[in-house]
Amino acid sequence: MTRWMRFWTMPALVFIGGFLISVGSARAQEEEFPGVTLGLLYETAYQPALALKPFAGRLGGEGPVAQVEAIIGRDLRYTDRLQVMDSLPEALVGGDIDYGLWDKLGAVWLLSGRLEGAGEGYVLSVELHDVVYGEVRNRGRFRIPDAESPDFRLATHIVSDAVVRWLFDEPGMAASRIAFSRRSDDGQTQELYMIDSDGENFRRVTRYGSITLSPTWSPDGKRIAYTSYKSDFPRIYELNLETGEERLLEPVREGDYITPTYNPNGREIAFTITGGAQSGLFTYDLERDCCLTHLSGGRWNDLSPTYSPDGRWLALNSNRLGTATPQIYVMPAGGGEADLISPYLHGNEGYYTSPDWSPVGDFVAFHGRIGRFGRYQILVADVSDRGRRLRQLTSEGNNEDPSWAPDGRHLVFVGRRDWGTGLMVVDTATGNIRLLLRGLDIRIPEWGPSLAVDGPDTLRGGGF
Amino acid sequence: MRIRGFIVPAVAALVLTAACGGNEPPPPPAPTGPTQAEIDAANQARQDSIDAANAAREAAAAARAAEQRRQQEMRRLRTTLTDIVHFEYDMADITPESERKLRAKVDILRNSPDIRLRLEGHADERGSNEYNQALGSARAQSVRDFLTGFGISASRFAMVSYGEERPLVNRSDEEAWAQNRRVEFKITAGEIQVSDRDDRQ
Repeated sequence: MTRWMRFWTMPALVFIGGFLISVGSARAQEEEFPGVTLGLLYETAYQPALALKPFAGRLGGEGPVAQVEAIIGRDLRYTDRLQVMDSLPEALVGGDIDYGLWDKLGAVWLLSGRLEGAGEGYVLSVELHDVVYGEVRNRGRFRIPDAESPDFRLATHIVSDAVVRWLFDEPGMAASRIAFSRRSDDGQTQELYMIDSDGENFRRVTRYGSITLSPTWSPDGKRIAYTSYKSDFPRIYELNLETGEERLLEPVREGDYITPTYNPNGREIAFTITGGAQSGLFTYDLERDCCLTHLSGGRWNDLSPTYSPDGRWLALNSNRLGTATPQIYVMPAGGGEADLISPYLHGNEGYYTSPDWSPVGDFVAFHGRIGRFGRYQILVADVSDRGRRLRQLTSEGNNEDPSWAPDGRHLVFVGRRDWGTGLMVVDTATGNIRLLLRGLDIRIPEWGPSLAVDGPDTLRGGGF
Repeated sequence: MRIRGFIVPAVAALVLTAACGGNEPPPPPAPTGPTQAEIDAANQARQDSIDAANAAREAAAAARAAEQRRQQEMRRLRTTLTDIVHFEYDMADITPESERKLRAKVDILRNSPDIRLRLEGHADERGSNEYNQALGSARAQSVRDFLTGFGISASRFAMVSYGEERPLVNRSDEEAWAQNRRVEFKITAGEIQVSDRDDRQ
C-alpha cells in the first residue's frame, strides 16, 4: 500500500448522461428524466482499513477509556471513508507497536490512544500510525472532561474529526449536532429537538406548546433561529444556545415569517414573508436588530433560501414559472436573475423543494417527486453545471428535507417507510444509508456546523 | 283561584257587617250588597287583568320565539361565515364550490361590518413542510382577494398559514387530503347582525 492509494478514497462520483453505465458491483436503478438520465449508481470507493488499537489509560476505572474508544471507533466508521477494525482483543493493549503484525491484520492505518487523568477531566493523547511506512504520521493531545460532563461526548467527537483531518485533509462531521422539529403524539404541537451527529444526546430545545419548525444554525453553532407559531402567527426567533436568550425578529411587515437561514457571515438571516403586501425573500440585519432588505418576490412564492459557503449565492424554492409545482433556483445573494437548476420540462414540471447548499462546495441537495409512484427522493445537483449533473440518492419510501453535514459529503433527511418515520443519513459518495433515529414524527432536520474548531480544548491537534 | 279570591272576601265582609250589631237587634238591614254594576265592574277588571296577563305572556313568548329565531339565524349565518372552503391538490385557485360558499359569506360580511375574520390556510401532508406553508398562505390570500373583490375591506382580514402542520383529518388517504386542503374562517371580533329580512326567513 502506498500513499497514492489515499486518492482512491476520495469519493468517486459517477454521473450518468444519456445512457447507463454498469460498473462492476455498482448498484443501478434507472429513472427516466427528460434530457437527463437519472439513477442510483455508485463506484465502490476504496476504503482503507484503520485499526483502533485498544486505548490505554492509568485510571481508576476502565469506563472512560472504553467509552472514548467506542465513540471514536463509531465516528470513524460513520465517515464511510474507512474500514474500521475496533473492539480488538485487550491483549493488543500497550507495548511497542509491531507494524508487521498490524500489516498482517490488514490495517493500513493504526490509531492508538492513551487517556490520563488531569485534575478535573482527562487528557487524551492519540497517535495516527502509517502501518505501511511504519511510522507515526500525526499525534495530538486533547482535553476531555469527566464522563459525567455534558461536553464529554463532544470533546471526544472533536478528536475523531482531528483524525479525519489528518487522514483526508477534509472536514469531519462527528463534532456537530442536528436540530429538527418533532410532532407530539396528539399532533397538536411541534417542538424543536437536537441530537449529536451519532444519534446520541437526544434532547428537547423548546417548550412553547405550539408549532415550531425550520431550524437554522448560526455559522459558529452557538445560536439557532426558527419559525414558531407561539404568538399565534408564524414569526422568526433566534435562540442563543449558551445563554438561553431569545429574541424576536421584529415583524415590521404584515405576513407570515417563515423558512429562515443564516448567512455564512453570521450577521444576517434570510427568510420569506408570505401573505403580506410584499411577499418574497428578505434579509434581516442581526447586528443592528432591524432593517429588512427585499431580495426577490412577486405574486409567486420564493422560499427556503440557502446560502453558498462564500455567501455570494442563494439557492431557493420558487413557483415563479406560474405552475403549481415548485422548482429550485440559484440567484445572487443580493437578489437578481435566478437560474433554474431542477430538471424542469414544460408539461412535466415535477415537484422540487427544500434546497440545502453544501457547506464545502457547489452542490445543492433537495427533494423531488420522482417516477411512476409519485414518491419523494433525495437529489443532489451540481450548481457549477447549472443542475445538468443531477444525482438521485434514495429509492425506497419517501425521503424529504435533506441537510448537509459539515463534511459536505453526508446528508441527513426524513425517511418515511412502512414502519414509520426516521431520521436517516446518506453518504453521497457510496450511497450508504443508515438510520439515525426512528419511530418519531420528525420534520425538517438541519445539520449544524462543525464544532471542532481549534479552541482551548485542544492542547495540540495539528500534525507534525 | 282569582275568582274565588275575589268573591270569598266580599261574602265574608257582608257576614261581618251583619254580625256587628249592638245589644238591640238592629232592624233587619235593608238587603244591601254589591250592585249589579259593581259586580260587572269587578268582573270586567278581572277579565282585563286576565287579558293583560295573557297578552304579556304571548308577547313574551313571541319575543322569545323571535329571539330564538334570531339566535338560530345567527347560528346559521355563523355556520355559513365559518364554513370551510377546500382546494384542489397543490392549487390555491377558488373552485366553483368554494365560490358559492364565499359569495354567501360576502352578504354576511356586508351586513355585519364589525366582523373581523382570521383566514387560516392549510395544505395536505404531501410535499415539503415549508412549501406547504407557502401554499397555505397562497390559499388564504386567494380567499381574501376573492372577498375584497366584492368590496369587503382588506383590513377586516388577518391571514395565517399552518401549512400541513394542523390537519383536520389525521389520515393519509385521498379523502383525508381533500379535507385538509382548506381555508378556515375564525371570527376574531364583532357580532353577526341579523337584518329584518333575515329575521322573517
